[in-house]
Amino acid sequence: MPDFLRKFIGLLLIVAAVGVASCQALMVSCSSGATAVSSSLLR
Amino acid sequence: MGRLLLLAGVVLIPLTALILLIKRITRSMAERFQQTPSPFPSLKGMLMFLLPLPVLFAAIAALGRGSLDGLIGNAAGYGLFLAGALLLRRGLLSEVEYDRRRVARTPWPFKTLGGTVVALATSVTAWLGADHHPAIAVAFGLAALLGCYLSYGFDPRTAKRFTDSEGVDVTDRVLEALAQAERGITAIEHATRDIRNAELNGRLRRIAALARQILTLLEEDPRDLRRARKFLNVYLDGAKQVTEGYAKTHGRVSAPELEDNFRRVLITIEEVFAEQQQKLLESDVSDLDVQIEVLTTQLKREGVV
Repeated sequence: MPDFLRKFIGLLLIVAAVGVASCQALMVSCSSGATAVSSSLLR
Repeated sequence: MGRLLLLAGVVLIPLTALILLIKRITRSMAERFQQTPSPFPSLKGMLMFLLPLPVLFAAIAALGRGSLDGLIGNAAGYGLFLAGALLLRRGLLSEVEYDRRRVARTPWPFKTLGGTVVALATSVTAWLGADHHPAIAVAFGLAALLGCYLSYGFDPRTAKRFTDSEGVDVTDRVLEALAQAERGITAIEHATRDIRNAELNGRLRRIAALARQILTLLEEDPRDLRRARKFLNVYLDGAKQVTEGYAKTHGRVSAPELEDNFRRVLITIEEVFAEQQQKLLESDVSDLDVQIEVLTTQLKREGVV
């Protein structure tokens, strides 16, 4: 496999795994916060 | 009360870390005005510091929400990401150093270790932060590990050994001599901080820069080490001792004679170092001349030219 292609695929995998996991963690954190705020407002 | 203490602890720890960081930055900025400016730091491995930033924000959001589980999961994930990125960067920088040298020991497997820690961090974040099933979290980790391997590769596993003209392996001796010389130059640079004379500091900086250039030449071709032995054992060591001695003494005693003597010594050292560098460069040129001559003779003999 050419060096450039190997590095490109590696970068894609890193962005896919690390980036997606990080953004999902942020979304989960923020969405549960929003749910908590809305439920407290409803009460 | 317990919550108040927890909140105070959570606020105080990052605040203390921030203050320490600012102090360190200001100190290094102050040192920059005294020393020769170092080249711009390499950007290798910076991606691994930037990509996990959302995990830090997730931890802050969990803190604001008062969710202990989210805070612990995200903080642990971000801590592991940071540790992995630091290890990876260290491995990449030591690989650059390994590639540059002709003689080198096998580097510590920082890249492999960093990739593994990043993979672990990805799994922890996917499991505790993003609430994925543990099996999916492991798949995230494996993808990150494969990505690190493909993108950065694993660490070099062999030492670059060097044998002298008699066939004796002198790798350790060469590396020890180079490391000792590097320690000498660092000691000179360190002593410069205690000298409050701009002209002498300038000379010392030039001497340290010249010594580093000579070391780079020796690292690139350790065969020159025999020629440069006097430089390493006598002049560099002498320069270090004189500089350290002057830095200690001139703060307590103000003697213009001492300053003049020190200036004269520095001028001589600078000349000797420049001469040594020139000799090494000339020997490279003469080596190349011999190689060209041999090749020309061979080509003539074979009727190509």
